[in-house]
Amino acid sequence: MKNNLFYTLALLFFLTIANALVSNFSFATKITAVALLMLLAAAKFLLVAFRFMELHKAHGFWKAAMIVLVALIVSGVLIAI
Amino acid sequence: MSSSSVNYKNFFYPPGGILLWIIILVEVITFGFALVALAYNNHLEPEIFASSRGMLNTHLATLNTLLLLVSGYFMADAVHGFRANNLKKAKTGFSMAMVGGLLFVGIKSVEYYGKISMDIGLTTNTFFTYYWLLTGFHLVHVLIGLVILLVLRSDLKKKPEALKLEDVEAGAAFWHLCDLIWLVLFPMLYLI
Repeated sequence: MKNNLFYTLALLFFLTIANALVSNFSFATKITAVALLMLLAAAKFLLVAFRFMELHKAHGFWKAAMIVLVALIVSGVLIAI
Repeated sequence: MSSSSVNYKNFFYPPGGILLWIIILVEVITFGFALVALAYNNHLEPEIFASSRGMLNTHLATLNTLLLLVSGYFMADAVHGFRANNLKKAKTGFSMAMVGGLLFVGIKSVEYYGKISMDIGLTTNTFFTYYWLLTGFHLVHVLIGLVILLVLRSDLKKKPEALKLEDVEAGAAFWHLCDLIWLVLFPMLYLI
């Protein structure tokens, strides 16, 4: 279990560094950069929820609620920006 | 120490308890609305948002993100330790999670001091209104989380037999909520 947590942390570190690097790239359109950054953030959000908060053990409702919420936030940001 | 064999698959018993998960959902929805509003205002005032964002320290914010993630890792490890009756591991986990949280608060204070000394406040422009409100509310959550961790660690040290697994899981879930909020705030405020 400790190894699983450690691998999750390593992946979260990798995604955070990727987030910071992506923000320095020049993209053809702003929406591409925003979409990439928000998708990386959503991946980290779900990793923390499912692995650190042990949401993978919970009832399907709680899993679906978190996935739908983060999808709504990312979609809302992409539509509004 | 009191542990139980909760069936987490039951709708009413997610890890951390249903009350805390309702709070988590409400918090995520609230911050989500704020982030969409921030994106909309970014669309209305792109130059102001770009120049204001350029005044933020991305390196410090990235470091803070890493600190919160490490802190969350130790918190999760502490819960596993407590569940396995390994009190030493649980204590170490709580302590390390608190160190991560305190370092986050320290770095955030340095960042705030820099902004205040540049006369950047809540009313400077729309971007900084969002900046102060969102990071400020998040910081309040971190401070509340630190108090919860302090109480849990103190109980674990003084009367471990009275501490329930449900309470440890609830405290951990609140601490992870601080991670969740920050993970979506960070790119919206500092990177986009």
